Amino acid sequence: MAIDKEDLMKSERQVAMVFDLNKCIGCQTCSVACKVLWTREEGMDYQWWCTVNTQPGRGAPKDWEQMGGGYRDGVPVPGIIPTRQECGGGWDFNYDEVFYGGKGRSVFLQPVGEQPTWGPNWDEDQGGGEYPNAFFFYLPRLCNHCTRPVCVEACPRNAMYKRSEDGVVLRDETRCRGYRFCLEACPYKKIYFNYVKKISQHCIFCFPRIEKEVAPACARQCPGRLVFVGYLDDKEGPIHKLVREWEVALPLHPEYGTGPNVFYIPPIGPHRLNEDFSIDETTPRIPIEYLEKLFGPRVSKALDTLKGEMAKTRNGDKSALMDMLIVYHWLELFGPFTRDPAELQWK
Amino acid sequence: MLAKKLTAEAKTLLDPAASAWDSAPAETIIMGGTPLVQQPSRYIRTAWSDRPIGSVRSLVVRSAHNGKEVFFLLEWRDDTQNTDYAGRDFPDSAGILFPLKGDAPLDTMGSESQPVNAWFWRADSEDGAKSITASGIGTVAESEGSSIAARAQWQDGTWRVVFARPLTVAGNQAVALEAGKSLKVAFAVWEGSSGERAGIKSFSKHWQELTLEG
Repeated sequence: MAIDKEDLMKSERQVAMVFDLNKCIGCQTCSVACKVLWTREEGMDYQWWCTVNTQPGRGAPKDWEQMGGGYRDGVPVPGIIPTRQECGGGWDFNYDEVFYGGKGRSVFLQPVGEQPTWGPNWDEDQGGGEYPNAFFFYLPRLCNHCTRPVCVEACPRNAMYKRSEDGVVLRDETRCRGYRFCLEACPYKKIYFNYVKKISQHCIFCFPRIEKEVAPACARQCPGRLVFVGYLDDKEGPIHKLVREWEVALPLHPEYGTGPNVFYIPPIGPHRLNEDFSIDETTPRIPIEYLEKLFGPRVSKALDTLKGEMAKTRNGDKSALMDMLIVYHWLELFGPFTRDPAELQWK
Repeated sequence: MLAKKLTAEAKTLLDPAASAWDSAPAETIIMGGTPLVQQPSRYIRTAWSDRPIGSVRSLVVRSAHNGKEVFFLLEWRDDTQNTDYAGRDFPDSAGILFPLKGDAPLDTMGSESQPVNAWFWRADSEDGAKSITASGIGTVAESEGSSIAARAQWQDGTWRVVFARPLTVAGNQAVALEAGKSLKVAFAVWEGSSGERAGIKSFSKHWQELTLEG
Protein backbone atom coordinates (compact mmCIF):
# COMPACT_ATOMS: atom_id res chain seq x y z
CA MET A 1 0.00 0.00 0.00
CA ALA A 2 2.69 2.43 -1.05
CA ILE A 3 1.49 6.03 -0.94
CA ASP A 4 2.56 8.14 -3.88
CA LYS A 5 3.86 11.55 -2.85
CA GLU A 6 2.48 12.94 -6.11
CA ASP A 7 -1.01 12.01 -4.93
CA LEU A 8 -0.44 13.80 -1.62
CA MET A 9 0.59 16.96 -3.48
CA LYS A 10 -2.27 17.08 -5.98
CA SER A 11 -5.15 19.50 -5.70
CA GLU A 12 -8.09 20.41 -7.91
CA ARG A 13 -7.97 24.09 -7.01
CA GLN A 14 -5.63 26.39 -5.15
CA VAL A 15 -6.44 29.09 -2.65
CA ALA A 16 -3.93 31.91 -2.58
CA MET A 17 -3.19 35.28 -1.06
CA VAL A 18 -1.74 38.53 -2.34
CA PHE A 19 -0.13 41.00 0.06
CA ASP A 20 0.25 44.55 -1.29
CA LEU A 21 3.52 45.60 0.32
CA ASN A 22 2.95 49.22 -0.66
CA LYS A 23 0.19 49.38 1.92
CA CYS A 24 1.64 47.33 4.78
CA ILE A 25 2.41 49.47 7.82
CA GLY A 26 3.93 46.69 9.91
CA CYS A 27 1.23 46.90 12.58
CA GLN A 28 1.28 43.13 13.24
CA THR A 29 -2.50 42.93 13.40
CA CYS A 30 -2.31 39.91 11.07
CA SER A 31 0.27 38.27 13.33
CA VAL A 32 -1.85 38.85 16.41
CA ALA A 33 -5.12 37.84 14.72
CA CYS A 34 -3.50 34.50 13.90
CA LYS A 35 -1.88 34.17 17.31
CA VAL A 36 -5.14 34.72 19.15
CA LEU A 37 -7.03 32.30 16.97
CA TRP A 38 -4.63 29.41 16.52
CA THR A 39 -1.49 29.35 18.65
CA ARG A 40 -2.59 29.77 22.23
CA GLU A 41 -2.37 26.14 23.25
CA GLU A 42 0.36 24.42 25.17
CA GLY A 43 3.68 24.28 23.36
CA MET A 44 2.58 26.96 20.88
CA ASP A 45 3.66 29.97 22.92
CA TYR A 46 6.57 30.79 20.63
CA GLN A 47 4.76 29.90 17.43
CA TRP A 48 3.83 32.78 15.13
CA TRP A 49 2.34 31.26 12.01
CA CYS A 50 2.11 34.77 10.58
CA THR A 51 4.99 37.19 11.13
CA VAL A 52 5.80 40.63 9.74
CA ASN A 53 9.45 41.52 9.38
CA THR A 54 11.30 44.63 8.31
CA GLN A 55 13.24 44.24 5.08
CA PRO A 56 16.14 44.23 4.57
CA GLY A 57 16.64 42.20 7.70
CA ARG A 58 17.64 38.84 9.08
CA GLY A 59 14.00 37.94 9.59
CA ALA A 60 12.33 35.25 11.64
CA PRO A 61 13.61 32.72 12.37
CA LYS A 62 16.97 34.45 12.44
CA ASP A 63 18.72 34.19 9.03
CA TRP A 64 16.03 31.85 7.68
CA GLU A 65 17.12 32.54 4.11
CA GLN A 66 20.45 30.82 4.85
CA MET A 67 18.87 27.64 6.23
CA GLY A 68 18.44 25.68 3.00
CA GLY A 69 15.49 23.56 1.95
CA GLY A 70 13.30 23.74 -1.14
CA TYR A 71 14.24 22.29 -4.52
CA ARG A 72 17.04 22.95 -6.96
CA ASP A 73 16.47 21.55 -10.47
CA GLY A 74 13.66 19.46 -9.03
CA VAL A 75 15.86 17.83 -6.40
CA PRO A 76 15.21 18.51 -2.69
CA VAL A 77 17.87 20.69 -1.07
CA PRO A 78 19.05 19.70 2.42
CA GLY A 79 18.11 22.25 5.04
CA ILE A 80 18.53 22.79 8.75
CA ILE A 81 16.00 22.92 11.56
CA PRO A 82 15.44 26.40 13.00
CA THR A 83 16.06 26.25 16.73
CA ARG A 84 13.82 27.55 19.50
CA GLN A 85 16.35 30.36 20.10
CA GLU A 86 16.50 31.32 16.42
CA CYS A 87 12.73 31.71 16.47
CA GLY A 88 12.60 33.47 19.82
CA GLY A 89 9.32 34.60 21.30
CA GLY A 90 7.17 32.88 23.89
CA TRP A 91 9.17 34.42 26.69
CA ASP A 92 8.00 34.58 30.29
CA PHE A 93 7.97 38.06 31.77
CA ASN A 94 8.17 39.22 35.40
CA TYR A 95 4.54 40.34 35.45
CA ASP A 96 4.00 39.34 39.08
CA GLU A 97 7.01 41.27 40.25
CA VAL A 98 6.10 44.40 38.32
CA PHE A 99 2.35 44.47 38.82
CA TYR A 100 1.77 42.76 42.16
CA GLY A 101 5.11 42.69 43.97
CA GLY A 102 5.02 46.22 45.33
CA LYS A 103 8.14 47.04 43.29
CA GLY A 104 6.42 48.70 40.36
CA ARG A 105 8.66 51.77 40.64
CA SER A 106 11.98 49.96 41.00
CA VAL A 107 11.77 47.07 38.54
CA PHE A 108 10.92 47.08 34.87
CA LEU A 109 9.14 44.56 32.70
CA GLN A 110 11.64 42.09 31.28
CA PRO A 111 11.91 38.46 30.27
CA VAL A 112 12.83 36.04 33.03
CA GLY A 113 15.15 33.07 32.66
CA GLU A 114 17.41 32.70 29.65
CA GLN A 115 17.70 36.10 28.01
CA PRO A 116 16.43 36.25 24.45
CA THR A 117 18.88 36.81 21.62
CA TRP A 118 16.33 36.91 18.82
CA GLY A 119 12.59 37.15 18.33
CA PRO A 120 9.83 37.21 15.75
CA ASN A 121 10.37 40.92 14.99
CA TRP A 122 13.80 41.48 16.48
CA ASP A 123 15.28 43.79 13.82
CA GLU A 124 12.15 45.91 13.37
CA ASP A 125 12.62 49.14 11.42
CA GLN A 126 16.38 48.77 11.05
CA GLY A 127 16.18 48.28 7.31
CA GLY A 128 19.00 49.17 4.94
CA GLY A 129 20.72 52.05 3.15
CA GLU A 130 22.37 55.15 4.56
CA TYR A 131 20.90 58.52 5.49
CA PRO A 132 19.34 60.28 3.65
CA ASN A 133 18.63 57.23 1.52
CA ALA A 134 17.81 54.74 4.24
CA PHE A 135 14.92 52.48 3.25
CA PHE A 136 12.80 49.68 4.57
CA PHE A 137 9.50 47.95 4.01
CA TYR A 138 7.46 45.32 5.77
CA LEU A 139 7.09 41.71 4.68
CA PRO A 140 4.29 39.61 6.19
CA ARG A 141 5.00 35.90 5.92
CA LEU A 142 3.05 32.73 6.53
CA CYS A 143 3.02 29.19 5.14
CA ASN A 144 2.97 29.48 1.35
CA HIS A 145 0.77 26.40 0.85
CA CYS A 146 3.10 25.57 -2.01
CA THR A 147 2.15 23.86 -5.24
CA ARG A 148 5.14 21.52 -4.78
CA PRO A 149 5.32 21.39 -0.99
CA VAL A 150 8.72 19.99 -0.08
CA CYS A 151 7.48 19.45 3.48
CA VAL A 152 5.05 16.87 2.08
CA GLU A 153 7.92 15.39 0.07
CA ALA A 154 10.09 15.13 3.18
CA CYS A 155 7.75 13.48 5.65
CA PRO A 156 8.66 9.82 6.18
CA ARG A 157 5.22 9.19 7.67
CA ASN A 158 3.12 10.72 4.89
CA ALA A 159 1.51 12.81 7.61
CA MET A 160 1.35 15.90 5.37
CA TYR A 161 -0.72 16.48 2.27
CA LYS A 162 -2.42 19.08 0.12
CA ARG A 163 -6.18 19.17 0.44
CA SER A 164 -7.57 18.28 -2.96
CA GLU A 165 -10.43 20.80 -2.86
CA ASP A 166 -8.33 23.92 -2.17
CA GLY A 167 -4.64 23.06 -2.05
CA VAL A 168 -4.24 23.94 1.63
CA VAL A 169 -1.21 22.08 3.02
CA LEU A 170 -2.26 20.21 6.14
CA ARG A 171 -0.80 17.77 8.60
CA ASP A 172 -2.46 14.79 10.24
CA GLU A 173 -1.29 15.42 13.79
CA THR A 174 -2.09 11.84 14.75
CA ARG A 175 0.43 10.63 12.17
CA CYS A 176 3.11 13.27 12.87
CA ARG A 177 5.82 11.96 15.17
CA GLY A 178 7.83 15.15 15.43
CA TYR A 179 10.76 14.07 13.27
CA ARG A 180 11.12 17.65 12.00
CA PHE A 181 12.13 16.66 8.46
CA CYS A 182 9.47 19.13 7.30
CA LEU A 183 11.17 21.92 9.26
CA GLU A 184 14.43 21.06 7.51
CA ALA A 185 12.90 20.87 4.07
CA CYS A 186 10.72 24.00 4.19
CA PRO A 187 12.81 26.78 2.61
CA TYR A 188 10.57 29.48 4.14
CA LYS A 189 11.06 28.08 7.67
CA LYS A 190 7.39 28.48 8.50
CA ILE A 191 6.90 25.21 10.38
CA TYR A 192 7.23 25.12 14.16
CA PHE A 193 7.97 22.30 16.55
CA ASN A 194 5.61 21.98 19.49
CA TYR A 195 7.91 21.20 22.41
CA VAL A 196 5.01 19.97 24.56
CA LYS A 197 3.07 17.84 22.09
CA LYS A 198 6.32 16.82 20.34
CA ILE A 199 4.85 17.29 16.89
CA SER A 200 5.33 19.95 14.23
CA GLN A 201 2.69 22.56 13.38
CA HIS A 202 2.08 25.28 10.80
CA CYS A 203 -0.47 27.69 9.31
CA ILE A 204 -3.63 25.94 8.14
CA PHE A 205 -4.89 28.81 5.94
CA CYS A 206 -7.75 29.07 8.46
CA PHE A 207 -9.39 26.14 6.67
CA PRO A 208 -12.37 25.93 9.05
CA ARG A 209 -13.14 29.55 8.10
CA ILE A 210 -12.51 28.94 4.39
CA GLU A 211 -15.01 26.09 4.50
CA LYS A 212 -17.62 28.58 5.76
CA GLU A 213 -16.69 31.24 3.20
CA VAL A 214 -14.92 33.34 5.83
CA ALA A 215 -11.54 34.83 4.89
CA PRO A 216 -8.48 33.80 6.93
CA ALA A 217 -8.00 35.85 10.09
CA CYS A 218 -4.76 37.52 8.97
CA ALA A 219 -6.50 38.82 5.85
CA ARG A 220 -9.83 39.85 7.37
CA GLN A 221 -8.29 41.63 10.36
CA CYS A 222 -5.76 43.64 8.31
CA PRO A 223 -6.59 47.31 8.88
CA GLY A 224 -4.64 48.31 5.77
CA ARG A 225 -6.91 46.49 3.30
CA LEU A 226 -3.92 44.87 1.68
CA VAL A 227 -4.46 41.12 1.88
CA PHE A 228 -6.36 39.63 -1.06
CA VAL A 229 -7.70 36.08 -0.82
CA GLY A 230 -9.23 33.80 -3.41
CA TYR A 231 -8.80 30.94 -5.81
CA LEU A 232 -5.94 31.21 -8.26
CA ASP A 233 -8.15 30.00 -11.11
CA ASP A 234 -11.08 32.32 -10.39
CA LYS A 235 -10.85 34.69 -13.33
CA GLU A 236 -13.28 37.13 -11.75
CA GLY A 237 -11.41 37.16 -8.45
CA PRO A 238 -8.59 39.49 -7.40
CA ILE A 239 -5.90 36.81 -7.13
CA HIS A 240 -6.10 35.72 -10.76
CA LYS A 241 -6.20 39.32 -11.90
CA LEU A 242 -3.17 40.40 -9.87
CA VAL A 243 -1.05 37.29 -10.34
CA ARG A 244 -1.94 36.10 -13.85
CA GLU A 245 -3.38 39.08 -15.73
CA TRP A 246 -1.54 42.13 -14.44
CA GLU A 247 1.44 40.06 -13.25
CA VAL A 248 2.11 42.54 -10.47
CA ALA A 249 1.94 39.98 -7.63
CA LEU A 250 5.01 37.79 -7.33
CA PRO A 251 6.08 34.83 -5.22
CA LEU A 252 8.76 35.25 -2.56
CA HIS A 253 12.01 33.53 -3.52
CA PRO A 254 10.66 31.69 -6.58
CA GLU A 255 14.11 30.10 -6.92
CA TYR A 256 13.28 27.91 -3.92
CA GLY A 257 11.29 25.85 -6.40
CA THR A 258 8.26 24.98 -4.28
CA GLY A 259 5.72 27.15 -6.11
CA PRO A 260 4.48 29.34 -3.25
CA ASN A 261 0.85 30.49 -3.29
CA VAL A 262 1.30 33.62 -1.25
CA PHE A 263 2.17 36.49 -3.58
CA TYR A 264 3.46 40.00 -3.02
CA ILE A 265 3.00 43.28 -4.82
CA PRO A 266 6.55 44.65 -4.57
CA PRO A 267 7.17 47.95 -2.79
CA ILE A 268 7.78 50.94 -5.03
CA GLY A 269 9.43 52.99 -2.30
CA PRO A 270 10.47 56.62 -2.54
CA HIS A 271 13.00 58.12 -4.94
CA ARG A 272 16.60 58.61 -3.94
CA LEU A 273 17.70 61.98 -2.61
CA ASN A 274 20.74 63.73 -4.04
CA GLU A 275 23.45 65.18 -1.82
CA ASP A 276 21.69 68.54 -1.92
CA PHE A 277 18.47 66.78 -0.92
CA SER A 278 16.88 67.33 -4.28
CA ILE A 279 14.92 64.34 -5.58
CA ASP A 280 16.55 61.99 -8.06
CA GLU A 281 13.49 60.81 -9.93
CA THR A 282 15.48 58.32 -12.01
CA THR A 283 16.65 56.10 -9.15
CA PRO A 284 14.50 54.12 -6.72
CA ARG A 285 15.65 54.17 -3.12
CA ILE A 286 15.05 50.44 -2.70
CA PRO A 287 17.75 48.91 -4.94
CA ILE A 288 16.17 46.84 -7.70
CA GLU A 289 18.85 44.18 -7.14
CA TYR A 290 17.55 43.70 -3.63
CA LEU A 291 13.96 43.31 -4.77
CA GLU A 292 15.07 40.86 -7.47
CA LYS A 293 16.78 38.81 -4.81
CA LEU A 294 13.47 38.51 -2.96
CA PHE A 295 10.91 38.34 -5.74
CA GLY A 296 12.86 37.16 -8.76
CA PRO A 297 13.61 38.66 -12.18
CA ARG A 298 10.00 39.69 -12.93
CA VAL A 299 10.02 42.40 -10.29
CA SER A 300 11.14 45.21 -12.63
CA LYS A 301 8.28 44.56 -15.01
CA ALA A 302 5.81 44.46 -12.13
CA LEU A 303 7.10 47.77 -10.79
CA ASP A 304 6.93 49.33 -14.26
CA THR A 305 3.30 48.25 -14.58
CA LEU A 306 2.46 49.67 -11.15
CA LYS A 307 4.21 52.97 -11.90
CA GLY A 308 2.55 53.21 -15.29
CA GLU A 309 -0.91 52.70 -13.84
CA MET A 310 -0.20 55.17 -11.05
CA ALA A 311 0.82 57.75 -13.65
CA LYS A 312 -2.49 57.22 -15.43
CA THR A 313 -4.49 58.05 -12.33
CA ARG A 314 -2.29 61.07 -11.67
CA ASN A 315 -3.22 62.32 -15.10
CA GLY A 316 -6.88 61.91 -14.27
CA ASP A 317 -7.38 58.69 -16.22
CA LYS A 318 -8.95 55.53 -14.88
CA SER A 319 -6.86 52.51 -13.96
CA ALA A 320 -8.61 49.22 -13.21
CA LEU A 321 -5.46 48.01 -11.45
CA MET A 322 -5.25 51.05 -9.17
CA ASP A 323 -8.97 50.74 -8.39
CA MET A 324 -8.42 47.15 -7.39
CA LEU A 325 -5.39 47.98 -5.22
CA ILE A 326 -7.13 50.93 -3.55
CA VAL A 327 -9.91 48.53 -2.47
CA TYR A 328 -12.86 50.91 -2.37
CA HIS A 329 -15.03 48.09 -1.10
CA TRP A 330 -13.47 46.11 1.69
CA LEU A 331 -15.14 42.78 0.91
CA GLU A 332 -13.73 42.83 -2.63
CA LEU A 333 -10.46 41.70 -1.06
CA PHE A 334 -11.77 38.30 -0.21
CA GLY A 335 -13.04 36.68 -3.41
CA PRO A 336 -15.66 34.11 -2.37
CA PHE A 337 -14.70 34.34 1.31
CA THR A 338 -16.77 37.34 2.33
CA ARG A 339 -18.90 36.02 5.18
CA ASP A 340 -18.79 37.64 8.60
CA PRO A 341 -17.59 35.04 11.12
CA ALA A 342 -19.79 36.66 13.77
CA GLU A 343 -22.86 35.44 11.87
CA LEU A 344 -21.83 31.83 12.11
CA GLN A 345 -22.74 29.33 14.76
CA TRP A 346 -19.49 27.47 15.44
CA LYS A 347 -20.04 24.03 16.87
CA MET B 1 20.93 -15.20 23.15
CA LEU B 2 19.47 -16.42 26.40
CA ALA B 3 16.86 -14.76 28.59
CA LYS B 4 18.09 -16.07 31.91
CA LYS B 5 15.52 -17.30 34.41
CA LEU B 6 16.04 -15.27 37.57
CA THR B 7 14.12 -15.05 40.83
CA ALA B 8 14.48 -11.28 41.15
CA GLU B 9 11.40 -9.06 41.35
CA ALA B 10 10.47 -6.63 38.63
CA LYS B 11 11.40 -3.57 40.67
CA THR B 12 14.91 -4.98 41.11
CA LEU B 13 15.50 -5.86 37.49
CA LEU B 14 14.05 -2.57 36.29
CA ASP B 15 17.06 -0.89 37.89
CA PRO B 16 19.74 -0.73 35.16
CA ALA B 17 22.45 -0.82 37.84
CA ALA B 18 21.06 -3.80 39.80
CA SER B 19 23.63 -6.47 40.62
CA ALA B 20 21.00 -9.07 39.72
CA TRP B 21 21.84 -8.30 36.11
CA ASP B 22 25.38 -9.68 36.62
CA SER B 23 24.05 -13.23 36.39
CA ALA B 24 22.47 -12.64 32.97
CA PRO B 25 24.82 -13.38 30.07
CA ALA B 26 25.90 -10.36 28.05
CA GLU B 27 25.85 -10.47 24.28
CA THR B 28 27.61 -7.89 22.13
CA ILE B 29 25.65 -7.05 19.03
CA ILE B 30 27.36 -5.44 16.03
CA MET B 31 25.24 -2.53 14.81
CA GLY B 32 25.21 -0.77 11.44
CA GLY B 33 23.46 2.16 9.80
CA THR B 34 20.19 1.66 7.96
CA PRO B 35 20.61 1.68 4.16
CA LEU B 36 20.12 5.08 2.51
CA VAL B 37 18.09 3.61 -0.35
CA GLN B 38 15.45 2.41 2.09
CA GLN B 39 14.83 5.81 3.64
CA PRO B 40 11.20 6.52 2.90
CA SER B 41 11.36 10.01 1.39
CA ARG B 42 13.34 11.54 -1.43
CA TYR B 43 14.18 14.49 0.80
CA ILE B 44 15.73 12.20 3.44
CA ARG B 45 17.67 10.21 0.85
CA THR B 46 19.09 13.46 -0.54
CA ALA B 47 19.80 15.12 2.79
CA TRP B 48 21.58 12.05 4.19
CA SER B 49 23.42 11.04 1.03
CA ASP B 50 26.70 12.38 2.39
CA ARG B 51 26.06 11.97 6.12
CA PRO B 52 27.01 8.84 8.01
CA ILE B 53 24.01 6.91 9.33
CA GLY B 54 24.22 4.84 12.50
CA SER B 55 26.53 6.40 15.09
CA VAL B 56 26.29 3.51 17.54
CA ARG B 57 28.23 0.51 16.27
CA SER B 58 28.10 -1.84 19.24
CA LEU B 59 25.36 -2.74 21.69
CA VAL B 60 25.56 -4.97 24.75
CA VAL B 61 22.32 -6.81 25.47
CA ARG B 62 21.31 -8.85 28.51
CA SER B 63 17.96 -10.54 28.87
CA ALA B 64 16.15 -12.21 31.77
CA HIS B 65 12.74 -13.29 32.94
CA ASN B 66 11.28 -14.18 36.33
CA GLY B 67 8.34 -16.28 35.22
CA LYS B 68 6.07 -13.23 35.19
CA GLU B 69 7.94 -10.54 33.25
CA VAL B 70 10.61 -10.42 30.57
CA PHE B 71 13.46 -7.90 30.79
CA PHE B 72 16.12 -6.56 28.45
CA LEU B 73 19.08 -4.43 29.50
CA LEU B 74 20.59 -2.50 26.60
CA GLU B 75 23.91 -0.81 27.11
CA TRP B 76 25.87 1.38 24.70
CA ARG B 77 28.55 4.05 24.68
CA ASP B 78 27.28 7.57 24.13
CA ASP B 79 29.30 10.65 25.06
CA THR B 80 26.31 12.95 24.64
CA GLN B 81 23.21 12.49 26.74
CA ASN B 82 20.35 13.87 24.65
CA THR B 83 17.10 13.92 26.54
CA ASP B 84 15.12 16.48 24.57
CA TYR B 85 14.76 18.47 21.33
CA ALA B 86 17.28 21.18 22.24
CA GLY B 87 18.71 22.99 19.25
CA ARG B 88 18.76 20.68 16.27
CA ASP B 89 19.17 17.55 18.43
CA PHE B 90 16.77 14.72 19.10
CA PRO B 91 16.34 12.59 22.20
CA ASP B 92 18.46 9.41 22.20
CA SER B 93 16.29 6.37 21.63
CA ALA B 94 16.39 2.59 21.54
CA GLY B 95 14.10 -0.12 20.31
CA ILE B 96 13.64 -3.88 20.41
CA LEU B 97 11.92 -5.51 17.47
CA PHE B 98 10.07 -8.83 17.24
CA PRO B 99 8.33 -10.45 14.30
CA LEU B 100 4.62 -10.90 14.97
CA LYS B 101 4.43 -13.56 12.31
CA GLY B 102 6.91 -15.94 10.72
CA ASP B 103 9.72 -14.46 8.70
CA ALA B 104 8.91 -10.77 8.87
CA PRO B 105 11.62 -8.85 7.02
CA LEU B 106 13.87 -6.84 9.35
CA ASP B 107 15.18 -4.25 6.85
CA THR B 108 11.72 -2.92 6.11
CA MET B 109 10.23 -3.17 9.62
CA GLY B 110 7.96 -5.99 8.52
CA SER B 111 5.58 -6.13 5.61
CA GLU B 112 1.84 -5.95 5.12
CA SER B 113 1.42 -9.69 5.55
CA GLN B 114 4.15 -10.04 8.16
CA PRO B 115 3.94 -7.23 10.70
CA VAL B 116 6.40 -6.59 13.51
CA ASN B 117 6.06 -5.46 17.12
CA ALA B 118 8.59 -3.13 18.73
CA TRP B 119 9.27 -1.73 22.15
CA PHE B 120 10.44 1.83 21.78
CA TRP B 121 12.09 3.98 24.41
CA ARG B 122 12.92 7.66 23.92
CA ALA B 123 15.07 9.63 26.36
CA ASP B 124 12.51 12.42 26.78
CA SER B 125 10.03 10.13 28.49
CA GLU B 126 10.49 9.94 32.25
CA ASP B 127 9.95 6.23 32.32
CA GLY B 128 8.06 3.83 30.20
CA ALA B 129 8.30 2.83 26.61
CA LYS B 130 5.75 2.35 23.91
CA SER B 131 4.67 -0.79 22.19
CA ILE B 132 4.32 -0.20 18.50
CA THR B 133 3.47 -2.24 15.45
CA ALA B 134 4.64 -1.78 11.89
CA SER B 135 3.98 -3.45 8.56
CA GLY B 136 6.63 -1.76 6.45
CA ILE B 137 8.72 1.40 6.52
CA GLY B 138 6.84 4.51 7.63
CA THR B 139 3.89 2.56 9.06
CA VAL B 140 4.73 2.60 12.77
CA ALA B 141 1.60 2.85 14.89
CA GLU B 142 1.21 2.78 18.64
CA SER B 143 -0.39 -0.41 19.94
CA GLU B 144 -3.48 -0.37 22.07
CA GLY B 145 -2.88 -0.76 25.78
CA SER B 146 0.88 -0.50 25.65
CA SER B 147 2.36 -2.20 28.69
CA ILE B 148 6.09 -1.76 28.31
CA ALA B 149 7.97 -0.42 31.30
CA ALA B 150 11.41 1.13 30.95
CA ARG B 151 14.05 2.67 33.18
CA ALA B 152 17.06 4.48 31.79
CA GLN B 153 20.29 5.72 33.25
CA TRP B 154 23.08 7.66 31.59
CA GLN B 155 26.35 7.66 33.45
CA ASP B 156 29.96 8.28 32.43
CA GLY B 157 29.21 8.16 28.74
CA THR B 158 27.06 5.04 28.79
CA TRP B 159 23.34 4.54 28.41
CA ARG B 160 21.79 1.64 30.28
CA VAL B 161 18.14 1.09 29.47
CA VAL B 162 15.93 -1.65 30.88
CA PHE B 163 12.76 -2.68 29.05
CA ALA B 164 10.17 -4.91 30.76
CA ARG B 165 6.90 -6.51 29.77
CA PRO B 166 4.66 -9.15 31.35
CA LEU B 167 5.08 -12.50 29.66
CA THR B 168 1.38 -12.61 28.92
CA VAL B 169 -0.45 -9.61 27.52
CA ALA B 170 -3.82 -9.24 25.88
CA GLY B 171 -4.42 -8.58 22.22
CA ASN B 172 -2.76 -9.64 19.00
CA GLN B 173 -0.54 -6.58 18.59
CA ALA B 174 2.06 -7.79 21.08
CA VAL B 175 4.65 -10.48 20.55
CA ALA B 176 3.98 -13.78 22.32
CA LEU B 177 6.59 -14.56 24.99
CA GLU B 178 6.73 -17.92 26.71
CA ALA B 179 9.29 -19.55 29.00
CA GLY B 180 11.09 -22.40 27.28
CA LYS B 181 10.39 -21.03 23.79
CA SER B 182 12.63 -19.26 21.28
CA LEU B 183 11.89 -16.26 19.12
CA LYS B 184 13.60 -13.73 16.91
CA VAL B 185 14.65 -10.33 18.11
CA ALA B 186 16.48 -7.30 16.69
CA PHE B 187 17.70 -3.99 18.12
CA ALA B 188 17.98 -0.36 17.10
CA VAL B 189 19.63 2.72 18.62
CA TRP B 190 19.23 6.38 17.65
CA GLU B 191 21.95 8.93 18.45
CA GLY B 192 20.12 12.20 19.02
CA SER B 193 23.12 14.50 18.68
CA SER B 194 23.67 13.19 15.13
CA GLY B 195 20.11 14.03 14.16
CA GLU B 196 19.13 10.37 14.19
CA ARG B 197 15.41 9.74 14.32
CA ALA B 198 12.83 7.78 12.33
CA GLY B 199 14.61 5.48 9.86
CA ILE B 200 17.95 7.18 10.46
CA LYS B 201 19.42 4.85 13.09
CA SER B 202 21.77 1.96 13.73
CA PHE B 203 20.33 -1.51 13.90
CA SER B 204 21.39 -5.11 14.36
CA LYS B 205 21.44 -6.13 10.75
CA HIS B 206 20.14 -9.64 11.38
CA TRP B 207 17.52 -11.22 13.57
CA GLN B 208 19.01 -12.74 16.73
CA GLU B 209 17.71 -15.97 18.18
CA LEU B 210 16.46 -15.48 21.75
CA THR B 211 15.54 -18.37 24.05
CA LEU B 212 13.60 -17.78 27.24
CA GLU B 213 15.10 -20.20 29.74
CA GLY B 214 12.51 -22.78 30.83
